[in-house]
Amino acid sequence: MTALAIPPWGNYSIALAASVECLRVTPWSTRSTTPEIMKLGAEASPEFSCLAFKATTGYFIKAAMEGVEYGVMVNSMGTCRLRYYRELQQKILKDRGLSLFIFGLGYDGIKPPLIRHFDPTMGDFLRCSARAFFKVHAVDSIEKLAWETRARELHTGDTTRLMNACLKDLDNARTVPAIRAVSRGVPARFRTVPTDAAARPLKIGLLGEASILRDSYLNHNLEETLGSLGVEVRNFFLLGNEMAKIFNIGLWSPESRGALTRLARPYLKSRVGGHALESVAYTLRCAREQYDGVIHVSPTGCMPEISIRPILRKISQDHSIPILELSFDEHSSHVGVVTRLEAFADILRERRKQASS
Amino acid sequence: MTTQAYLGIDVGSISTNLVLIDSGATVLFSAYRRVDGNPIHSVQKALQEMRIAIPDSLEISGVGTTGSARTLIGAVVGADIVKNEISAHARAALHLHPEAQTIFEIGGQDSKVTILRNGVVVDFAMNLICAAGTGSFLDSQAKRLSLSIEELGERALLSNDPTTIAGRCTVFAESDMIHKQQTGHPQHDIVMGLCQAMVRNFLSNVCAGKEIRPPIVLQGGVSANRGIRRAFNEALRTEVIIPQHNMVMGAYGAALLAARANPTRTRFRGYSLCDREIATRSFRCNDCPNQCEVIEIMDHDESLGRSGGRCRKWEQGVQAGGSP
Repeated sequence: MTALAIPPWGNYSIALAASVECLRVTPWSTRSTTPEIMKLGAEASPEFSCLAFKATTGYFIKAAMEGVEYGVMVNSMGTCRLRYYRELQQKILKDRGLSLFIFGLGYDGIKPPLIRHFDPTMGDFLRCSARAFFKVHAVDSIEKLAWETRARELHTGDTTRLMNACLKDLDNARTVPAIRAVSRGVPARFRTVPTDAAARPLKIGLLGEASILRDSYLNHNLEETLGSLGVEVRNFFLLGNEMAKIFNIGLWSPESRGALTRLARPYLKSRVGGHALESVAYTLRCAREQYDGVIHVSPTGCMPEISIRPILRKISQDHSIPILELSFDEHSSHVGVVTRLEAFADILRERRKQASS
Repeated sequence: MTTQAYLGIDVGSISTNLVLIDSGATVLFSAYRRVDGNPIHSVQKALQEMRIAIPDSLEISGVGTTGSARTLIGAVVGADIVKNEISAHARAALHLHPEAQTIFEIGGQDSKVTILRNGVVVDFAMNLICAAGTGSFLDSQAKRLSLSIEELGERALLSNDPTTIAGRCTVFAESDMIHKQQTGHPQHDIVMGLCQAMVRNFLSNVCAGKEIRPPIVLQGGVSANRGIRRAFNEALRTEVIIPQHNMVMGAYGAALLAARANPTRTRFRGYSLCDREIATRSFRCNDCPNQCEVIEIMDHDESLGRSGGRCRKWEQGVQAGGSP
C-alpha cells in the first residue's frame, strides 16, 4: 500500500492518521518531531526560516528516505510565510533527488488535490471524516483533563502515563462507536489518579504559534514541565475549535472567528496572519478570567507572533497580567527554557501571596 | 556546641561558587572557582576547601543548589532545595538591598535583567541566542590582549576618550577591536570601548522593553570588572550598586533559600562525598520519539538521581522547583 506522510501535530496526529485511511494509504505519522528529523530539517532549510518549516521539511526528507511516496502540508491559511512552505519543501526535496510528492491542503476547488488523486468513495470518505472528527474531540477532552489533573497529581508522572494509555486506546479504536466508548471512559480513568483535592494550582494560558504549541519536541515539553511545577495550563490551540473556525460552524460560540475578532478589536483590528489575532484575543480572555499568567510561544522570526508582541506587552500593563515570551529555534537550550519557566512560576506564586495578604 | 549553617552552591557555565551562612544570614565562608570542565569535581574540591577553612562545630542543616547544573549537583550533594538562578539571585539581592528595583546579573554565558517592585520580582529577561555581552567574551578578549581579566578592568579606568567598538556581535566586535588596534588607538581606550559596547548590547537587547528604574544592583562574575561598572554608571547616569558578595550572589541566594526552607533533617550527604568516585552514565530513553539522553549519576553502585530527560519521568532523587 502507498504511504502518506503527515507532519506531526501533537496528539492530533492520531486523528489525522485516522482521517486518511479512506484514501487507502498507510499514514506515516508520529506525535512529535524527533532529534533526527530536526537535524535533517535544519540542514536542508534556509537559516532564517521558522522552526515549523525546518521541522516539517525534515519530516518529509526522512519520510522520503524511508520510501514514503506522498505527503500533505497545510498551504493556504493566514498570511504568513506558511503559504509558500509546500512549494519550497517540494523544491528542497527535488534538489536532494528525493521523490516524495506533497499535496497542499489549502482551498483548491471543492475537491482538494489530495481527494482528487486518491478518489475515495463517498461512503469511505464520510466514514473516515466522522472517525477523525470524533478522535479530534476525544483528544481535546483527554488534553483538558490532563491539564487539570497533572497540576494536582500526588505522584509525578501518573497523569502522563494515563494520558498516553488513553491516547493509545484511542489510536487503536477503529470505529465510531469504539472511539466514543474510549471517550466516555476517559473522565472516570482520570479520576483514578491520586490528586491533592485542596490544591489551588497556578493557572497559565499557553498561546501563540500552533505547531510550537502542539509539538512537545519543539516546545521542550512545556505542558508537562509546567504541570510538574504545579501549574494548571490551558493550551489555547484546540483542533476541535480550530475546525469549527475553518468551516465556520458554531457562529455564536465564543471560539468563533467573529467572537475572537470582537474580543481583540480594542487592541488589534487586522488579522495579521497565522494565529496572531487569536493570541491577542486569548490573552485578553486570560486577563478577564483571572489567569495567573500567560506564556506566549513562537518560533524565532515568526512574523505574525512577533508583530503582536508589543500589543501583548500593552495588554500585560493594562490588565496587570504577567506574560512570558518564549521563542524557540533548533538551538534553544532545554535548561534555559526550564529556568525561565521555573522563574516565571516563582513570580506568579509570589504575586498570589501578595494579593492575598 | 554546634552551630547551624546553611550551604548554597551555584554551578554555572564558568564558575562554581559556594557560600556558607549561619542562621542570621551572615556569610561564614565563600568560594569562587572556575569550573575545570567537570562540575562534580569542582564542587568536590570547593567543598574540601570549605571543610578545611571552617570550624568543626558548624553543622550543615540545609543545602540549596542553583545555576545551570543545579539538578546534577543537587543530586550529588543531596540538596534540600533546587532553585533556578533567577529566583536565587533575586533572593540574595533583596536580602542585601531591599530597596532595589532592578537587578543586572551578568555571568559567564548568561546575562539577565530582573525587575523588582516593592521587594518582589515582577519580570525578568535573559539573553536568548547571543552571548555578546557576557563574561566569556571579556575573558577571550582579555586573553587576546594578554591581560588578566582584572587588569582589563583596571586598564579601562585609565581611558579618557573611549574608542567606539561595534558591540552587536562578539566576532565583529573582535574584528573591530583589531582594526582599531592596527590604526593606533591606545589599548586602554579600546578596552573601555569594549566595556561600553558590552553594556550597550546588554541594555538594548536583554533589557529591551523593560522599565529600568534605580536603585540598580549589578552582580555576577562580570560585576567585578571595574570597566564594566564605569560603563554602566555612564550609560545609565546613575551609580549602580555592587552588593557585598557580588561574585557569589547566586550561591548566597541558594543558601538563604535553604535557610528559609529550614528542613527538619537535611538531605546533605556529608563531606565524605568529596572523596568518593562519583560518575555519570547515560542511556537513551526510547519510550517516545523525543529519544532523550538521560543522565544517571552514580556513586559506585548507588544511583543518586537522574536528569536530562525532557519529561520528568526519569528524574529521581531531586525535586526541581521546590517551594519558595
